[in-house]
Amino acid sequence: MRWYVVRRVLWAVVATFLILSVTWGLLAVTPNPAAEQMQFQAAASGGSAEAAEEAFEARRGLDRSPWVRYQEYMTNMVTLNWGWSQSRSQPVIEAIAAALPYTAIYSVPTTILSILLGLAIGLYSATNQYTKSDYAATFFAFFGYAIPNFWFGIILLLVFGVQLGWFPVVFDSDIPFFSLGMARQLVLPVVVLVTGTIAGVMRYSRAEALEYVEAEFVKTAKSKGADGYRILTRHILRPAAVPLMTILVGDILGIFLAASYLVEVVFGIPGLGQLSYNAILAQDTSLVLGTTLIFTFVSVVGNLVQDVAYTVLDPRIDYGDR
Amino acid sequence: MAGESDTFESVDWEETGGRFSTLSRRDRWALATVVGLLAAFVYDYAILPADRPTITVPVEWNVTQLDWLFVSTLLALLLYVAVPLYNNRRLTAYYWREFRKNRMAILSLVYLLVVFLIGVVGPLFLDKPVLAVERAYQPPVFTSVDAAVPVDCLGAVVEGRCQGTMAHPLGTTGDGKDILVLVVYGMQVSMKVGLISTLLVVTIGTAVGTVAAYGGGLVDELLMRYVDVQLVFPAFFLYLLLTYLFGGSLFMFIVIFGLTGWGSIARLVRSEALQRAEEEYITAARSAGAGTLYVIRRHLIPNVSNSVITAATLLIPGFILFEASLSFLSLGDPTVPSWGQVIATGRGDLSTAWWVSTFPGVFLFTTILAFNFMGDALRDALDPRQET
Repeated sequence: MRWYVVRRVLWAVVATFLILSVTWGLLAVTPNPAAEQMQFQAAASGGSAEAAEEAFEARRGLDRSPWVRYQEYMTNMVTLNWGWSQSRSQPVIEAIAAALPYTAIYSVPTTILSILLGLAIGLYSATNQYTKSDYAATFFAFFGYAIPNFWFGIILLLVFGVQLGWFPVVFDSDIPFFSLGMARQLVLPVVVLVTGTIAGVMRYSRAEALEYVEAEFVKTAKSKGADGYRILTRHILRPAAVPLMTILVGDILGIFLAASYLVEVVFGIPGLGQLSYNAILAQDTSLVLGTTLIFTFVSVVGNLVQDVAYTVLDPRIDYGDR
Repeated sequence: MAGESDTFESVDWEETGGRFSTLSRRDRWALATVVGLLAAFVYDYAILPADRPTITVPVEWNVTQLDWLFVSTLLALLLYVAVPLYNNRRLTAYYWREFRKNRMAILSLVYLLVVFLIGVVGPLFLDKPVLAVERAYQPPVFTSVDAAVPVDCLGAVVEGRCQGTMAHPLGTTGDGKDILVLVVYGMQVSMKVGLISTLLVVTIGTAVGTVAAYGGGLVDELLMRYVDVQLVFPAFFLYLLLTYLFGGSLFMFIVIFGLTGWGSIARLVRSEALQRAEEEYITAARSAGAGTLYVIRRHLIPNVSNSVITAATLLIPGFILFEASLSFLSLGDPTVPSWGQVIATGRGDLSTAWWVSTFPGVFLFTTILAFNFMGDALRDALDPRQET
């Protein structure tokens, strides 16, 4: 098992290395929008487009050999020197650090809520299979899974922000963290994200728990007179928890990352997603790269944690040579 | 194999006789269609002048690159889904009985067929929505809005409120574009994205999966490690980065989705194929002298196709949603009226014109929901081994 964990960590490092290399390759083969703009300006003001391009490349160090540039890029990435953001006039890493707390302040409650609620509803559905409430829960799961997060956010804003006026329409970043005002303006984003991520948790926990609802040891516990709650927590949840945990980290993370990106744009929360979106609009390539890479790294680490947790928590799994 | 009379006598010995004839009659039809399409494509691009539309009768239709791809996708669907289902009526009837048990799935199927038909035919007859500021912000029919909102109310003004008219049943945007027309065009965009990308993904994924499973050794290792790397990238951010770098025309979206989204299908096909390859009928076929290509085509692919079709149906809504999300982030092609883009244009007018974002969103949501319902029912009908 230890050997497996070591190899899994090594693979994560290799994967990160490959991702960085691929993005470098992509950047190298695509024209830089900033360079194109410079050329256009030079041509428009009567200068030579080629001269402008050469000057731009010399300034950026693009006239050196690809190998030197690649080495420099990789060193910069590892030492967290992620370049200069043109549109914000600050280092990329600083911009990301400033945006992170705003992403965290709604993601933490979302994660806790969707796991607790999803587990509770999923277990309830499993123990009450094929009842009306089970069907209602399944339908809700489908609803949450299928509704486009960004559109759902807009509709909630329309109904509860514009029509009813219960929640503010525009996010105010001056309100201090951990205040009632902040909580109030985070209600709608959290609701949108929870509806999106809860579906997966619910369906998986229902399916996992169903495997044990009819198991021999559950019947034994029932015949010995254990009450419903005890059976649920001690006999069903315990064995189901291991596979569930892994799903919670991996799959939910994937949905959550993409959803949070769009939700930030809709609600105007100045977190990572909004930062990245503005960078796209401003064609600020180094910031776009930095913000997308952050999300990708989170996903790589999440998958690593998932696999390692699986081996540590479930001693039945034998990985042999693979 | 012909439906009811599926007996020993009905086996087409002509087909199994030749050592090289791994191609069935259907494949020859497909080949002929591909050649025909290619000829038409070459004719359109090399011989016809660029400004002349490809078809003038019965409707004027200038076939674009994407349309060519879409037509090929539809033909592939016809030849590899509709024709086998028709030829194999007994099995089709069984699938239908299983599928029919799920009432939501039937509803979804009908809805998707309607969306598909309108999406394919509608844009041929409806003119592309154009900028018309004098028609801006018309409310949908049966609703009304404060008369100050539209520039010039087309309907009746009752007590200071502008009434919607049948001329624009779902209202108009801030540019005066009719939302119903935009929605119909969006149907075509979504169907193109969903179906073409899925066809690309299924083709590449099945090819890679079977080659990996059958090639074994180094080939398998290399292909699957590559799939690992591809799947490490979270899909949304990969698409985001690629469309940012390469520009987001609809064609580019589909190419990106198709060329990078096949990892999970390849894994699925490989594991299924490895299981199937161990079974007796494959050994029997091999000992009777069947070559690798023949075994893959006649035994392996038909036997993994059920799980592939199910997985593919569940991939389609993902692609549609990705396209909508990226268009919503204004990474898409501004000239292609996709649902995500219309939702984005309505965002700024929420307090005055609620209908702009609402209607395309409703269609986006119901389409994704319908595909999910259908995928679930298909899994139950086609893949009885799988328990969920």
